[in-house]
Amino acid sequence: MRCGDFKTSYAADMAIFETPVSRWLTIGFLVALLAVPAFASSYWLDVVNRIAIAAIAALGLNILTGFTGQISLGNAAFMAVGAYATAAMAGKLGLPFPMTIPLAGLVAAAAGMVFGIPSLRLKGLYLAMATLAAHFIVEFTASHWDAMTGGVNGISIPPAKLGPYELADDAHLFYLCIPLAAFLTLFARNLFRTRVGKAFVAIRDQDISAEVMGVRVFRYKLLAFGVSSFYVGVAGSLTAYQAHIISPENFPISLAIDQLAMVIIGGLGSVQGALFGAVFMTLLPELLRIATSELAGYFPHLTTLFAPLKTGVFGLVIVLFLIFEPDGLAARWRLIKTYWKLYPFSY
Amino acid sequence: MDFFLQLVVNGIVVGSIYALVALGFVVIYKSSSILNFAQGEFLMLGAYVCLGVMLSSAPVPFWAAFLLTLAFSVALGLLLERVALRPMIGEPVISVIMLTLGLSAVLRAIVQGIWGTDTRPFPQVFPTEPIHLGPFPISQGYLWSVGSVAVLLVAFGLFFKYSRPGIAMRATAFSQQVALSMGISVRRIFALSWSIAAVVSAIGGILLGAVRGGVDGSLAVFGLKVVPVVILGGLDSVLGAILGGISIGILENLSGGYLDPVFGGGVKEVAPFVALVLILMVKPYGLFGKVKIERV
Amino acid sequence: MTRRRLFPMLALFLLPVAGLGQEIKVGGIFDLTGITADVGKPYGQGVRDAVAWVNANGGINGKKIRLIDSDYGYKIPEANATYKRLTGTEKVVMINGWGTGDTEALKDTVSRDKIPYFSASFSAHLTDPKKTPYNFFVGASYSDVLRSWLAWVKQDWKDKSRNPRVAFFYGDNAYGKSPIEAGRRYCKEIGLDLVAEEILPGIVQDATSQLLDIKQKGADYGFTQVTVTNTSIVLRDAKKLGLNVKWGTNTWGLGENLIAVAKDAAEGVVGGMLNPPFGENVPGMAKVVEFHQKNHPNDTHDTNYVRGWSYVMTWTEGLKRADKAGQLNGEGIKAALETLKDFDLGGLAEPVTYTPLDHRPTTKVDLYQVQGGKLVRLKDVEQPRKAEWLGI
Repeated sequence: MRCGDFKTSYAADMAIFETPVSRWLTIGFLVALLAVPAFASSYWLDVVNRIAIAAIAALGLNILTGFTGQISLGNAAFMAVGAYATAAMAGKLGLPFPMTIPLAGLVAAAAGMVFGIPSLRLKGLYLAMATLAAHFIVEFTASHWDAMTGGVNGISIPPAKLGPYELADDAHLFYLCIPLAAFLTLFARNLFRTRVGKAFVAIRDQDISAEVMGVRVFRYKLLAFGVSSFYVGVAGSLTAYQAHIISPENFPISLAIDQLAMVIIGGLGSVQGALFGAVFMTLLPELLRIATSELAGYFPHLTTLFAPLKTGVFGLVIVLFLIFEPDGLAARWRLIKTYWKLYPFSY
Repeated sequence: MDFFLQLVVNGIVVGSIYALVALGFVVIYKSSSILNFAQGEFLMLGAYVCLGVMLSSAPVPFWAAFLLTLAFSVALGLLLERVALRPMIGEPVISVIMLTLGLSAVLRAIVQGIWGTDTRPFPQVFPTEPIHLGPFPISQGYLWSVGSVAVLLVAFGLFFKYSRPGIAMRATAFSQQVALSMGISVRRIFALSWSIAAVVSAIGGILLGAVRGGVDGSLAVFGLKVVPVVILGGLDSVLGAILGGISIGILENLSGGYLDPVFGGGVKEVAPFVALVLILMVKPYGLFGKVKIERV
Repeated sequence: MTRRRLFPMLALFLLPVAGLGQEIKVGGIFDLTGITADVGKPYGQGVRDAVAWVNANGGINGKKIRLIDSDYGYKIPEANATYKRLTGTEKVVMINGWGTGDTEALKDTVSRDKIPYFSASFSAHLTDPKKTPYNFFVGASYSDVLRSWLAWVKQDWKDKSRNPRVAFFYGDNAYGKSPIEAGRRYCKEIGLDLVAEEILPGIVQDATSQLLDIKQKGADYGFTQVTVTNTSIVLRDAKKLGLNVKWGTNTWGLGENLIAVAKDAAEGVVGGMLNPPFGENVPGMAKVVEFHQKNHPNDTHDTNYVRGWSYVMTWTEGLKRADKAGQLNGEGIKAALETLKDFDLGGLAEPVTYTPLDHRPTTKVDLYQVQGGKLVRLKDVEQPRKAEWLGI
């Protein structure tokens, strides 16, 4: 058990896993995760897939909002871009998924950089509104560019394929989503050990000083939009494969708000926080649904009350979280770990 | 030309409701730098409460119901400020925004739980005969909203410029710490601003319910619709909110009238946002917003 | 064989055995909180009540139906997830769904999984068994309703010097666009001029710009393919602008609620109603009214509530026939439903006929008009069952 910080080299100071124990625990967790499809039902596999997709999107948003300080509500739009790009590439060009997913991410990154241009002039809430505009513009394009997107009727995506292999069901998708999420988490975590990542954090903390110090703020802001949108585009691409048919209704503004909630509740500016937030926000509606359907068994006459109850409790949980745990789940997790580390000498 | 003018007139009239809601946003922002996304829910709640009071077992005439709803809104604003916003002082802006979004979900759920999701008919308050301004018919409910917006504009302009609470609000918005050291009760200022915002939105909600003839959950969507108005006008400018509301109303109608046939519909919703981005590139703090001077 | 295909196969083997048990599981996907909740909630209530009534009156040859219902808030991803849960975890034999967008999104999946899917979407795209073999609905399709209204327009128009001019108002979504192509073709066929197509947003605050447009184009008749709330706004704005236009709408636009909300602006509106207003004097209404009065007399009771009942009456008949044939599974229920010929619902809806080649339950539309603040039955129009109209 560690009782202090005794680093003796820069490499140790910057390490992602501070102790061998945490490294092996993480690897063990991932291996155990891979065994889940053996005994989980199709529905719960779908839930875990959605958690993985949400985690990737939350990681992307975290890079932009948590680390670079640019509030963005355009997430749903960039997910849509990634999803439609995948639909076009897989459906019309028949490309295999190892090509469509990265390419969709790149297309979304390009879109993100275009819509990130206002960040040159705008800050804070004004920038958030400009990204909101991006959302509605993309939604409008998706609904009207019938040739490319199928318009409001949506477009269907053939199952992900690689040569003769087809990822036709949730278990197969699981083996695509989880490793991808793990890899992207590692990438994000690593990003902040590099120069680019530190430039992002400098911009968040005080961008004028950063500029003075030699960080080219506009270029790095655009890069942040690009990287973040790449993540979100990949998430959108996976959504396309998972949902099999997408339409503009799959990407409403509430999706962007939910992802923002994930990042904030998880802990702004922390990679772990994005993961916690994604798990929390995806599981919460499921738990509420199970709870209300159990209660419906005992109080059948109150069924019409349960639907607003679900929304209400959801909102209430968010509100309570923000009031009592403003630094997010990651901070609380850190406090819990510290408590156990120092037990019984906590102070 | 007739078509054009009619669209403009309609835009002004519809935009006045946007302006009412935007005023609520601005008042809160001006005093506490919070963008309150639950404003649309205040609107909806105002309409439902007024309806509920009018249709309750002791039937109440419209004017009495109106005043009772305003009193309720004051109480609502005070309650929310005390319970939800007080603990968030000092938190980053984005957390507070998320909090108001959560609050909006809670309020929506409460409304749905109590009143259900049916569209409830609003009793006929204004006569359905439209008033003709020259050749243009305007429904009476909208005229009342234009009128109230004009009155409120003058009232708030004077309030913020000359009255003690108004000046105290501006001081609090500028710097809470300095205001506190000057003896201004920041807590009371917050409470006051939230009450004003709730009242203004309730007025908008009642007018909207009366004009539409029915009240349902969709009124809450106005909150999101009005955000470009507020940003366009500048987050902390009362005049900006009102001019922004009217310009967005005009813009929506013109783009709906002229561009919808070209693009096959839906332009009315996107146009305000596109315009918003373009204007923000030129004036990053909105048309009348105060330019933030950052010191490093 | 993948896991996905294994489950339905297993289900097909196990279900006849499970049928010997006491419960038949049916899934319900309703909109109780979303943008169509104003009509979705009474419908859901109707389905629930009707299932309770059936269970209290003999069930399905003695077996009880367990309705597993959930609210999806008109969000397609929610519908997808709910569907997966109902078929994967709960193992329902059929589903009573709701909206056009999600039903059309799920149509290939239900065919693959062989789950009969009843939807409150009357989209004609769901009527061709070659494309959508497992989709059903009870009532004339949106396209047939539109065609019936256009036929009424042709007969109502008295001026011989020119064709009547018609405008369509619809939302920018799958539900809104569903009958428009059929409407365009039929206008050409019977000689009506379609002068304008106006798009309405999901939540209409003000329809003035669209109405001014049709005024400019001289429209005489307008049809709305939206719901009650938005239709009432169009009607009120049209009245305010003094437009000389006669209005028509479909089953989701016309109902008791439209008159309550739009008040005198709704006067004269003609619409296709697929189910009678609550309490109308038809043989099947007695049990509906009685059950409603006994259990929740103060709650909603409108034509959408009656619709829920008509659906349950239809598919419980299908379940009964499938059970008698010993085939209480997806394919068996589909086959049983396809034996329904002119199945009488006691006036709660037009008699239902499904065949393996045609899932249009009926092509008869009841036109009602708002006269003096009440819904008055105008006439029944029967559209010919043309083969080339199947699926449009």
